[in-house]
Amino acid sequence: MINLQPYADPQYFIYLLVALIPLMVGLWHGHRLKVYEVLVSLSFIVLMFTGEKWHQGVALIGYLIWQVVVIFAYAHYRKAHNQTSWFVIAVLASIFPLVIVKLTPVFSVTPSLLGFLGISYLTFKAVQIIMELRDGTIKALRVWPVIRFMCFMPTISSGPIDRFRRFEQDVEGAPERDQYLDMLNRAVKYLFLGFLYKYVLGYLFGTVWLPQLAHFALRIGGFSWSLVGYMYDYSMYLFFDFAGYSLFAVAISLIMGIDTPMNFNKPFAAPNIKEFWNRWHMSLSFWFRDFVFMRTTFFIMKHKLIKNRIRVSQVAYLINFLVMGFWHGVTWYYIVYGLFHAAAIIINDIWLRFKKKHRQSMPHNRFTQALAIFITFNVVCFSFLIFSGFLDTLFFK
Amino acid sequence: MDTKTTVLNILQDLTGEDLSSALDTDLFATALLDSMDTVQLLLELQDQLGISVPVSEFDRNEWNTPNKIIAKASAAQ
Amino acid sequence: MKKRLWMIFGPVILACVLVLGVLLVPLPQGHLNQKTLREASVSMAPNILLGQRIKDQALKSDYVPFIGSSELSRMDAFHPSVLAAKYDRPYRPFLLGAPGTQSLTHYLDNQSWIRQYRGKKVVFIISLQWFTPKGVNPGAFQYFYSPLQAIQFLQHADSHDAADRYAAKRLLKLSPAKAHSDIREGLLDIAAGVKLGQGLNTRLAIHETLLRNEDSLFSRFTVGNHYARIQKGMAQLPEHATAAQLDALAGKIGAKATTNNHFGIENHFFSQRLGGNKLAKMRGKQATFDYRRSPEYGDFQLLLDQFAKNHIQVQFVIPPINAKWAQYTHLSQPMITTTTNKIKRQLADQGFSHVLDLTKAGRQPYFMQDTIHLGWRGWVAVDQVVDPFLTQQQAPDHYHIQPYFFSKGWANAQ
Repeated sequence: MINLQPYADPQYFIYLLVALIPLMVGLWHGHRLKVYEVLVSLSFIVLMFTGEKWHQGVALIGYLIWQVVVIFAYAHYRKAHNQTSWFVIAVLASIFPLVIVKLTPVFSVTPSLLGFLGISYLTFKAVQIIMELRDGTIKALRVWPVIRFMCFMPTISSGPIDRFRRFEQDVEGAPERDQYLDMLNRAVKYLFLGFLYKYVLGYLFGTVWLPQLAHFALRIGGFSWSLVGYMYDYSMYLFFDFAGYSLFAVAISLIMGIDTPMNFNKPFAAPNIKEFWNRWHMSLSFWFRDFVFMRTTFFIMKHKLIKNRIRVSQVAYLINFLVMGFWHGVTWYYIVYGLFHAAAIIINDIWLRFKKKHRQSMPHNRFTQALAIFITFNVVCFSFLIFSGFLDTLFFK
Repeated sequence: MDTKTTVLNILQDLTGEDLSSALDTDLFATALLDSMDTVQLLLELQDQLGISVPVSEFDRNEWNTPNKIIAKASAAQ
Repeated sequence: MKKRLWMIFGPVILACVLVLGVLLVPLPQGHLNQKTLREASVSMAPNILLGQRIKDQALKSDYVPFIGSSELSRMDAFHPSVLAAKYDRPYRPFLLGAPGTQSLTHYLDNQSWIRQYRGKKVVFIISLQWFTPKGVNPGAFQYFYSPLQAIQFLQHADSHDAADRYAAKRLLKLSPAKAHSDIREGLLDIAAGVKLGQGLNTRLAIHETLLRNEDSLFSRFTVGNHYARIQKGMAQLPEHATAAQLDALAGKIGAKATTNNHFGIENHFFSQRLGGNKLAKMRGKQATFDYRRSPEYGDFQLLLDQFAKNHIQVQFVIPPINAKWAQYTHLSQPMITTTTNKIKRQLADQGFSHVLDLTKAGRQPYFMQDTIHLGWRGWVAVDQVVDPFLTQQQAPDHYHIQPYFFSKGWANAQ
């Protein structure tokens, strides 16, 4: 049986684009071929989990049933009641499978049977629906749209993370012809930019140079220039590989007439850490901003748990980035990575307040701008070195 | 006090600027507001005008200028 | 509207046609010049090892495969590549191996050339260090994994052959997770003793053409050019020399290069790798090393089987370990003797008669360049056996391969 991993090799694009042609013709004429769309999506999802990966496919089906039960039980409850405790239970139930999958490596060498490629991203989508049910911004809910949203084929394995209401608007209708042409135009641009990012630059940084730098850094041990080289090279690899991947996901969505949000916006040109998170893995960081950070601050301020506004934001940052760290995996380096960014953004906030106070005496020109970008870039690269887990291999293995 | 003045007062508290003559400034693009301020804005609206806006209702593109915020607040009342 | 559609998709169609054209049309494999071959023969670069075109052409002329691992990179003046070039021998070594290559990597690499090389000669340097309890490191194996060679293996594999099935199982266990699904499917079939289906064969054939074209387009861009080191070595040698004169010169050059330590380890290596407190940490560190039981014995058997099937005559070399170093790290000498005897038995029992066992020479001065790698006088000793082996007619070998050597029983035997 043939197995196709999303965007893994050039053949994948050929198969996928050929399969999408009827859908494109439909959209060109202003119709969305809904049944065909389901068939294509389903086939490509099935092909992700064939062969040795069949048990992941089974895990996906079980996971979907679990989430649908949790979401609809809560939706049903929410019609008449709105107790915080049941909301918390619903969220916990929704993230439960992910927690099991993330905790398993701590206790066992074999990965959890509940795991499958994309479980994190599906969890973000499910939790989002529960949060919006709580807020009352989603009221009526049917099973099919929830599954369609969670399993949207171009983004199922690694995002970008769309929002339910936005997605529903796109998927229920078809774009105007002019609008669809613009979308196709963008899709082609993103596809080719993605090829450049993932298959040329990502390959150079990740496959050609990274193993050599790792080899030299490990041979010398401790601090070395090779380690510094590894840090920058890994950061570039991380960006080009993931940004390339995200571009593919957005491009294929656009071809299917869905305007999936972008994931990256020149992150290394950010003048500070706060701005960096507005440009790096945006759909994730916005998800965290809207569903973790803002909710935490809202909760703390509403219940007046902490009086000082600055202290509130600092606590919320800490919680926000710690959760993000744990989400990446339960290892010391992911957690330190989270703490590092929390610290960086707290320091950044202190600096921004200081700057605001002394606005008159603070120089602001091209040079300070460049310096800000330079510092931010290096702080970020250092955080990626932590994130890479290479220090773990270097120091503790 | 009408809704418009109340909103502008809240915004002045948060941004430190009088925005009554800059009603179409993009508050997020100019970094006058951040997520922290947003939460405070929502809480103040609740306290002072009695309107409750859930966090997930808050779409940055629909709340990014004083005018838009005033319109949202008036509509909710 | 239609025009805009063309403006969007025209370039895409053009790009597809161009890429597919370049990759799927059988490209003419023009001749590479001598300089490219000469540099490739000592580059030890992954793209040479994993590729096809350069080896194809080199082995058709007077290049002879020298298979080994990290010792091949000790390119002093007495390295086989230097001696062959300086004294214009009728053969030139083509170095196949790099730090981290072991039996299974070579088995896969040999797929790319051995069938066209039937009946000829090969030099093979076995490292005792390969035979660790866990065998080849999956990371190292994956670094040198070549999809092209995996496909070539599948295309020639016989689902009833014990060696091929053993190889498929090992490859399946060690091959990278990102290995193409067609390749994994083929490996699963062979491991299970099932013939590959027609559809899979066709897909593999298309894939092979694609990879071959990729290789012939890009393999000439080698990473790392060591040829300057070969030339530097040639400059140090006299125009004519007997073996004894070479040995004396090797001792002299070796003495000059090993002045900062009492192990007889080359200065640069010592200060870089064992400088600071690194040396002290190594004391007694290798007392528990054990090469006697290892899956590597089965992997090594794959190579023997491959040599036998293709009637290749092989000169094996088993290099020693620097004795002073072994003493310092408490590496067990009886363990080394048992390991060597086990390897020699595996060779002798199956009719491999050209074996140069140097393991007793670890105490000779300037024989090793560092801890475990041959250098100066060691290379001269190798040359004294390898040169006649390659330049003189050898009596035909009679191999009789025994599947027992693939078994766990043999891997764990002492």
